Amino acid sequence: MAFKQTILLRTRIAFLAVLLFATAIVAKLVYIQSFQGTRWKNEAEVAGLAYRPIKATRGNIYADDGNLLATSLPFYRVALDPCIVDETTFQEQIVALSQLLANFYQDKSAEAYQHLVQSARQAKCRYLILNPRRIDHQAKKAMSQWPIFCKGRWCGGVLFEKVEKRFHPFKDLAARTIGFINANECGAGLEYSFNQDLKGLDGSALYQKITGGNWKKISDGASDRTVRGCDLETTIDINLQDVAHNSLLKALQASEAAYGCAVVMEVKTGEIKAIVNLSRTENAQYRECYNYAIGNQGATEPGSTFKLVSMLALLEETSVALTDTIDTGDGRFQFHDRIMKDVKRGGFGELTVQEVFEYSSNVGVARLIDEAFGKHPQKFVNYIHRLSLSKPLGLQMIGAGVPFIKDAKSPGWSSVTLPWMSIGYELKITPLHTLTLYNAVANHGKMLQPVIVKRVKRANKTVKEFQGTVLSKKICTDATLRKLQTMLEGVVERGTASKFRHGFYQIAGKSGTANKVVNGKYTNDTYASFVGYFPAKSPRYSCIVVIDSPQCYAWHFGTAVATVVKDIADKIAAKDLAARDFIPSKGSPDVFPLIRAGYREELLQLCDALGVAYHKQELDVAWVRGILDGDHIGWKANEIPKPGQVPHVLGMTLKDALFLLENCGLKVTVQGHKGGRVTAQSLLPNTRSVHGKTIALKMG
Amino acid sequence: MAPIDPVRKINQTMKQPINQWLKRHLKGDPFIWAIMLLLTTLSILTVYSAAGALAYRKMQGNTEYYLVKHSLLILSSLGVMWVAHKIDYRYYPGLSKLALWISVPLLFLTWRYGLTLNEASRWLTIPVINKAFQPSDLAQLALIANLANMLAKQQRHIGNFQETLMPMLVWCGVICGLIALTNFSSALLLLLTCMLLMYIGRTPIKYLMMLTAVGIMVGFIAMCAGQRGATALSRLKVFTQDKLPFQTEQAYIAIATGGLYGKGPGNSQQRNFLPHPYSDFIYAVLVEEYGLVGGVVVVLLYLALLYKGIRNVSQSNRAYGGLLSAGLSFALVLQAMVNMGVAVGLGPVTGLPLPFVSMGGTSLLFTGMAVGIILSVSRGDIDESIDELQEQRTTLKNKYK
Repeated sequence: MAFKQTILLRTRIAFLAVLLFATAIVAKLVYIQSFQGTRWKNEAEVAGLAYRPIKATRGNIYADDGNLLATSLPFYRVALDPCIVDETTFQEQIVALSQLLANFYQDKSAEAYQHLVQSARQAKCRYLILNPRRIDHQAKKAMSQWPIFCKGRWCGGVLFEKVEKRFHPFKDLAARTIGFINANECGAGLEYSFNQDLKGLDGSALYQKITGGNWKKISDGASDRTVRGCDLETTIDINLQDVAHNSLLKALQASEAAYGCAVVMEVKTGEIKAIVNLSRTENAQYRECYNYAIGNQGATEPGSTFKLVSMLALLEETSVALTDTIDTGDGRFQFHDRIMKDVKRGGFGELTVQEVFEYSSNVGVARLIDEAFGKHPQKFVNYIHRLSLSKPLGLQMIGAGVPFIKDAKSPGWSSVTLPWMSIGYELKITPLHTLTLYNAVANHGKMLQPVIVKRVKRANKTVKEFQGTVLSKKICTDATLRKLQTMLEGVVERGTASKFRHGFYQIAGKSGTANKVVNGKYTNDTYASFVGYFPAKSPRYSCIVVIDSPQCYAWHFGTAVATVVKDIADKIAAKDLAARDFIPSKGSPDVFPLIRAGYREELLQLCDALGVAYHKQELDVAWVRGILDGDHIGWKANEIPKPGQVPHVLGMTLKDALFLLENCGLKVTVQGHKGGRVTAQSLLPNTRSVHGKTIALKMG
Repeated sequence: MAPIDPVRKINQTMKQPINQWLKRHLKGDPFIWAIMLLLTTLSILTVYSAAGALAYRKMQGNTEYYLVKHSLLILSSLGVMWVAHKIDYRYYPGLSKLALWISVPLLFLTWRYGLTLNEASRWLTIPVINKAFQPSDLAQLALIANLANMLAKQQRHIGNFQETLMPMLVWCGVICGLIALTNFSSALLLLLTCMLLMYIGRTPIKYLMMLTAVGIMVGFIAMCAGQRGATALSRLKVFTQDKLPFQTEQAYIAIATGGLYGKGPGNSQQRNFLPHPYSDFIYAVLVEEYGLVGGVVVVLLYLALLYKGIRNVSQSNRAYGGLLSAGLSFALVLQAMVNMGVAVGLGPVTGLPLPFVSMGGTSLLFTGMAVGIILSVSRGDIDESIDELQEQRTTLKNKYK
C-alpha cells in the first residue's frame, strides 16, 4: 500500500530527528564534562551554598474582645557597606548623612559619624554597624530617603537587618501571664506554655555566600516556606485587667507590701477575666515579675479563707446546724501544747456556728473541727483531696504551683496539725486554688477548671478550642451549699468583711489574714486576702485579691484588699448598668473586614490609596455598604434615610454614624472601642425617629 | 538489520516456570517490558536519592516516606500498563473519544478552581479517594489517541480540508489552548507532538503550516489569559541571556562532577541545591550518580522505546494501530528528550518531568497507560469478537442501503 510506505518513510524521518536531538544531548553531556569540566568542578568547591533558616512570624495573643496583648513587630538594625557607593556621591553626601545620623541617634556628633564612615571606607571594611539601636518601621522608611541610603542596598550599601521583637500594646498589663520566651526557648507565661502553637514552622531557603561574609538569597533556588504561628485568644478582659492592675498597684504602693495579686473569674465558665501579679522591685516600683496567683511561690498558708473548707467538711460530715452554739471563751484555747488565739481581745464568748464563720473565730472553727474529726483526722484531709485542692489545677500554663497538704499518716503530722489546718495553716495552696473553690460555691457547687486560653486560631479558623473540664460536678450537697452561701453573705453583711460591702452589688466572700512564717517562725508580717463572688444572689464573677506583707499599720487586716475588690466590683457594675437590649447586627462576621459601610466618595478614595480592588459600578447614592465579591469589593446602596426615619448605621465608623444620626436630630450615646465600627444600634433602622430621642450605639 | 527475534529466544528457554508465567501474562513486545523495568528500577534508585533533601526538610528526615510512596506509584503504574495491554487496541478509539470530551470540562475546572502549586493550578482533587491529578495528562493521552484515529479513518481523503483537517485543528487548538492556560510548556510540547503525528499521518505540509498558525494564535491568547504567560516569557528571556540561570548552573556542576562513571548511587551532592532534583532535574542527578555512562544508557533506553513503538507502524495491519503507537511513543520520548535537554542546557527551564523516571503522582499512571496501549498495539488483534461485530455492522449497513 502506498499510504503505508509514505507513513513509514515519514516515521523514519521523525525518528531520525529525535535521534539527532538525542545525539545533541549526549554531545552536550560530553562537552560539559570534558571542555567545561574544570570550570564547573571549581564552581562546586567555591559555590558556598547553604540552607539558612527563616524564622516564622510568631502568632499574636489577643484579649477576649480581640484587643492585641502581644504581637511581633519588625525592627531594624542599620548597617552600611561603606565601599559600595561611588566616590563623587560619597564626597557630596557624607556630611549631610552624618548630620542626619547624629540628629537621629543623639549619641554622637555629626563629625564622629563622618569619621566613622570615612575611616571604614578607607580601611575597605565591608560591614559597619552604624548604631546598635534598633529602629522601627517608620524610622526605616524615613531613613531610606536619606542621602546615600536612598540608593538602596546595591548602590548605596545600606543594610536594614530585620529583627522581630515582641511588642505589648498594653505594656505591663498581665505581662507575666502573657509571659515571654527567650532565644533558648526558655520563658514563662502563655508565650512559653503555648510556644508550640505560637512559634509556627520555621522555613529555610538556599543562600549563596557573597563578598563581605553576607548571604544572598537565591530567588529561584529551593526553599521551604515558613508557616506563621497560630494566634491565641485569651479570656482576659483588658478593661477589667486595667482596673484591677491600677487598683492593686495603688494599694500596694500605699501599703508598701511585698507583692500582691488579683484574679477575676467568670463564675459560669471558669474563664479568668483578669489576672494581676505585682511584686516590689529594688527601687520600690511594682512590676509583673512573678505569677503569684498561679505559680509555686504564690502557694502559701491561706489563713482564714480556708475556713470555708472546714465548714464544708463539718456540715457534710456532721448534722451540726448553723444555729448550734460553741463557746469560744476568752479567745484563747489550748490544743495540746499550743494556744490558739482569736483576733478579738477578750474573745467572742459563746457563738453560733454561723457567727463563728462570720466573725472568723479561730478558736471556734478549730474546736468544731477538732470535735468532729479529732478521732479520724484523715477524713478531714480527704475532704481537701476531694475538693481538688491538693494537686495542681491543670491550668493551661506551665509552672503551676503544687499544693502542700499533709496526710494524717505523714511524718510531719502532729497532734496540733488538725486544728491549725482547719484555720488555714500547716498547708499551702495557691490563690487560684482558693478562687476555684469559691467559684464552685458560687456556681451551684460545680467546680470548674480555670481557663485562660479559649482558642488557638489560624487566621479566622479555630485550630483548637478549650473548655475547662469540670473538676467536680457537685462539691457538696445542696443543703450544705446553701448554708455556705448564707455564711459567705453574712461575712460581708455582718462579719469581718463588712468593709467590702458594695453599693450596687451584694458581695459574698471571706477575708483572711494569715501570719507569715519567716525562717520557721510566725512573724507579725501578714498575708491579707479576700476571696468572694458577686452579685451574691446570682453570681457572675468571683475574685481573689491577695496582698503580702503590708507594712503600714493602717493597712492591716485587709483594708488594702478591700479597695481593690471594690474597684473591680465597681467596674463590673458600671458595665452592667450600661448594658441594654441591643438589636444584634445582621451582617455575618466573615464579610470583608476592612470596608463595611460609609460615605461612598471617601471609601473609594481609601480603596484607591490602599490598593483594594473594587467594582467600578456607578451608583448615584452617597452612602454605600461594601460587600465582598470574589477578591473585589462590590458596592450596595445604603438605604437613604427618609426624613423622620432612623438611618442604618451598622458597620459604619463613629464619625459617619454620628453625622447621619445627629443630622436626624437623634442623641447618640456610644459604648465600646471608639475606633471600631458600629456593631449594634438600639433603634431599628428605618423606623420612625423622634427628634431628641436617644440612640445607643455599640462599637466593636 | 534484523535483530534476533526475542520471542523465539524466549521460546527456546521457556522450560523454566518463570518464563512460562511471563509469557502467559506479559504479552506484547518483551523488549518494551524490559525497557520499562530498567527505567523504573533506575527511577526508584534515583528518586530515593534525590528526594532525600526534600524528605529531610519536609518529613523530618523520614526518607523512606518518598521511597515507599514512589515505589507504590511505580507499581500501580506498571499495573495500569498491564491492564491497558490486555485490552484490544481497537477499543481505544471509543474510549479515547469519551476521555477527550470529559477532559474539556475538567481542564476548564482546573484552570478556575484547581489546586495551586508553584503559582499554577494544574491539579484537581478527585473526590472520595482524595488524590490530586492533572487533567492535562488525561487530555494529552486522549488527544493523541483521537488524532491517530481521525488520521487513520481519513487516509483516503487526507487532503480534504473540511472533512479531515477541520476537526483535527479544532481539537488540537481547544485542548492545547486549555492546557496552555495553566502549563505552557506542556501545551507546546503536545502541539509539537500532534504536528509530528499529523505529518506522519500524511497530512499535507501546507496544512501543518496552518496548524502552526493556529498554535501561535492559541498560544498568544493563552499567554494573555492564562497564569503562565509571564513565567514562560521570563524563562525564555533568561535562556537567551548570557548568564546561566541558577538551576542550569547547578545542573552543570552535577553533570561535570559526575565524571564518566558517576559518584555512585546515593552520593549526589547537587540534589541539595537543585530545585526539584526528583523531577525536573532528575537527569542531572542521574548523571551525577551514574556518570556519562548512565546518562547515555538512559538516552538509549528512550530511543529504543521509540524504535519499538514505531516498529508497530510497519507491523500493524491497520493504519490506526501504527499511528496510535507512533503518536504515543513520540509523545513520551519527546517529553523525555526535552527534559534531558533542559538538564544539559539545550533549552529554557521548563517543569516537564522525565517520563517513568521522575517522581510525580498520578502522571505516572497515565504514562503507564500510554505504554500499555503501545504494547497492546504490538500484540495485534486480540479480540476476535470485534471482527464479527464489524462484519455484522457491514452486513446491516448493506441490508438497509
